[in-house]
Amino acid sequence: MANIAAQRIRREIKEVMKNEETAGASIKLELIDNRWTELKGEIGGPPDTPYQGGTFILEIKVPETYPFNPPKIRFLTKIWHPNVSSVTGAICLDILKDQWAAALTLRTVLLSIQALLAAAEPNDPQDAVVAKQYREDPHMFEMTAIHWTNVYAGGPTPVFEFNQKVRVLTEIGVNEQVARVALSTYHWDIERATEEIFSIYP
Amino acid sequence: MAETSEAQASASASAPGGDAGQEEEKHDERMLECNICLDTARDAVVSMCGHLFCWPCLHQWLETRPSRQVCPVCKAAISRDKVIPLYGRGNTKQEDPRNKVPPRPAGQRTEPENNSGFPGFGFGEGFHMSFGIGAFPFGIFTSTFNFGDPRPSAAPRGTAQYEEEQFLSKIFLWVAILFVLWLIFA
Repeated sequence: MANIAAQRIRREIKEVMKNEETAGASIKLELIDNRWTELKGEIGGPPDTPYQGGTFILEIKVPETYPFNPPKIRFLTKIWHPNVSSVTGAICLDILKDQWAAALTLRTVLLSIQALLAAAEPNDPQDAVVAKQYREDPHMFEMTAIHWTNVYAGGPTPVFEFNQKVRVLTEIGVNEQVARVALSTYHWDIERATEEIFSIYP
Repeated sequence: MAETSEAQASASASAPGGDAGQEEEKHDERMLECNICLDTARDAVVSMCGHLFCWPCLHQWLETRPSRQVCPVCKAAISRDKVIPLYGRGNTKQEDPRNKVPPRPAGQRTEPENNSGFPGFGFGEGFHMSFGIGAFPFGIFTSTFNFGDPRPSAAPRGTAQYEEEQFLSKIFLWVAILFVLWLIFA
């Protein structure tokens, strides 16, 4: 069993390397250990989205029963997206669950995740807070996503207003990540975010 | 993305005909790769939707989710009876891979006991067993009181050996009687 899994991963990595040369480097696959069970994926943010220019790292865990069961994949790079948990990086994507098919490869799965970044599914959210913002205030969502891409994924567009608000909170001793999550959740209303932070962490 | 590679493969292959034997396989192995293990398909079968698999791979896929049997490539409905085995020219044994790998589980039916030698006995094994144990002490009786038979090893009367044998046989007799009593009252 483990034989099929290891052999397939080996072939898939070779395939991704081959494609990397031709189709640009928007998807990368890298082994973490030599047992073929843990890999690191990398996808580029799709153009014309808030994620453009960012590089997102994913954790890939290959089960013993691969390819008959799907790999376990989550974002290691923090991302503001309705179908990705802003806390854990867990991804809500049907092909990683019941819609998995044995002919899918890590390359096609990473491409699907890249496509998910371009076309969010707010009606089947992983992160309810983000999904709500996506539906109710698309502009605020986009700015927040651009800000997160800039801060965590090396995106090219800094959002000075948001950076400043985060700095205000960190200067009074709030953890940067906590401050960013609270501000993002409360539409960058610094008073509400502060209130929230000090009600949870008194 | 399996389709793209297949499309590229068929563009370069000369004749995607029915007798795709081993020669063509060498020319372009990618065309004949199993969609599950990505290796050259062995015991190849093709689905109604046209996708190629090793039978062991496809079988395991069908076993993994018996309630939702779909083609791993295009998610069309698929089942064991709706795949076609492929026989290449170089293959000498034209055996249906579905019968070979994995071996079909044998039926769970067991044959009845063969009692033809004892038509009168309708009883099971247990009867014979308990009868045999019950007869054990009587076997000692009969061997002790077999006056009719001339015993070849019997010692002549009056000798020490004769006395010893008498003594021994009495011990055995009492042991047998005690055993019978124990059987009855215990």
